[in-house]
Amino acid sequence: MAKLRVTALTPTIGGLIEGVDLSQQLDDEVIAEVRAALLRHRVVFFVDQHITPMQHRDFAARFGALHTHPLYPGVPEAPELFILDNHANNPTDNDAWHTDVTFIETPPLGAVLYAKQLPADGGDTLWCNMRAAYEALSPAMQTFLAQLDAVHDFARGFPARGTVAKAAGADKHAKAVGEHPPVIHPVIRTHPETGEDALFVNYGFTARIKGLRRKESDAILNMLFDHIQKPEFQVRWRWKDNAIAFWDNRITQHYAVNDYLPHRRVMHRATILGDRPFHRSRMPQALKTAAE
Amino acid sequence: MATQSSFDVTPLSPALGATVSGLKLSDPLGDTVITDLRKVLLDHEVLFFEDQELTPVQQRDFASRFGKLHLHPIRPSVPGVPEVLILNNEPGSDTDTGNWRADVTFIETPPMATLLYAHEVPERGGDTLWSSMRAAYDALSSSVRAFLAPLDAEHDFAMSFPPDHLVRLNIGIERYAWARREYPPVVHPVVRTHPETGRDGLFVNSGFTTRLLGLSKAESAKVLELLAEHIQRPEFVIRRQWKPGMLAFWDNRVTQHYTVDDYIPHRRVMHRVTILGDKPFNRARLRLAAE
Repeated sequence: MAKLRVTALTPTIGGLIEGVDLSQQLDDEVIAEVRAALLRHRVVFFVDQHITPMQHRDFAARFGALHTHPLYPGVPEAPELFILDNHANNPTDNDAWHTDVTFIETPPLGAVLYAKQLPADGGDTLWCNMRAAYEALSPAMQTFLAQLDAVHDFARGFPARGTVAKAAGADKHAKAVGEHPPVIHPVIRTHPETGEDALFVNYGFTARIKGLRRKESDAILNMLFDHIQKPEFQVRWRWKDNAIAFWDNRITQHYAVNDYLPHRRVMHRATILGDRPFHRSRMPQALKTAAE
Repeated sequence: MATQSSFDVTPLSPALGATVSGLKLSDPLGDTVITDLRKVLLDHEVLFFEDQELTPVQQRDFASRFGKLHLHPIRPSVPGVPEVLILNNEPGSDTDTGNWRADVTFIETPPMATLLYAHEVPERGGDTLWSSMRAAYDALSSSVRAFLAPLDAEHDFAMSFPPDHLVRLNIGIERYAWARREYPPVVHPVVRTHPETGRDGLFVNSGFTTRLLGLSKAESAKVLELLAEHIQRPEFVIRRQWKPGMLAFWDNRVTQHYTVDDYIPHRRVMHRVTILGDKPFNRARLRLAAE
């Protein structure tokens, strides 16, 4: 018996969920419906939600263990949440397509982003569906990419001279770089819940494709970074106060539009840890056994 | 935000776009309203009017208050109202979608503006995006702006309407051959000064711009690729979902648009009128030529 109303926002990605108050203790059935909507729509939105940081954290924690970001400042009441506070003196650097935190072995399953303070105009976020982007590639390109792995690097996304590193301070940044050596993920990731193959390289953190020459890797990655920007794969969300976006970070990328400075935009984010990415052809033995 | 006229304007994003409410476009409108609307169009680059009930004749008459109308060489039009094109995108038909372009830049005097009216739209999908060429130009480095400003580009009808298109458009070979003769490639400045606002904007598009004159083929291809990618940045772009009865009115001298190709097998029927514009120019180069 469905308790939630879910409205698709585009044919490809995005669903608006109504009929739930996230400040309440939700039963397992509702959580299962949210999860199903997330898997289907890749990013889901809730509006008119009035939740405390603790309620925000607790809702996200129903979907998995939470990640604490090495650089961004935490919310005092719930340090697993971090604050994105952009204004004239702290310009955003999220105006580039990326998947969150792919620089760790087990990148996030998803993130729950809550609008705390918005500019009157601007500051939209876009998400794109990496399944749709994968499906739109030629079969020859899909086959080529399916065998490949890529290097994801924290230092690419958060260079020492970047605004986030500067805001965090040199010591915190140097420590974070030391604790996050580059990691390897498949270029095509099989979604662990839906079984769909999807592109899993992103401009933010993917430095190169292993086994290719430098020029080959640059050309292929640039082609893919360009390809994923097609409007056909996207939803553009115009924020409202107290709206929440919850995205499946295993199969989406997002882009925060940098068009509102000098006005201020404050968001809180909870990040849910995921599993280790794999491609079906190179599935870990444990998962293969479980699947059989 | 109220203006002198009896309509309201609500901006939709920092770069471009505004909704205009309080006007029924099927009514006869006074000259003051038209003058004010023109000003609002210059300010916001693309305007949206919702819940309109417009016959093709009313859409044509409203558009003609802003200038002379263009007759398209090959697209189908409403019977008896040749100024109103029918964009009917359903399976197997011409899908004028999935690429960024300005309208009809293949003529000497490309349209000043386009009015697109949603006749029948799918419940979801078939959105249109507009990008501000002023915002895109302003965001280039000063070195690249200086490099581009003296350049001209070739625009060619055949780039968006190659011969195999006539099968999809269902027009005869004679008509196509006529259009091809009638519309040889034309040359426009890469950086166009808006004739009314005086602001510079990028004026190359993936629909019709074939090459940059004075550059090698390889250089031209790379620079056009750079610009084609640049204009897609979400900071310069607005995306709108259509509703039946919605009219979009954009300044074609300073915008490009993109129709999202994601609604097949559903139908999407639009009526389009384009208003002729002036010959594009670059102010700095006019001044140099005069000296």
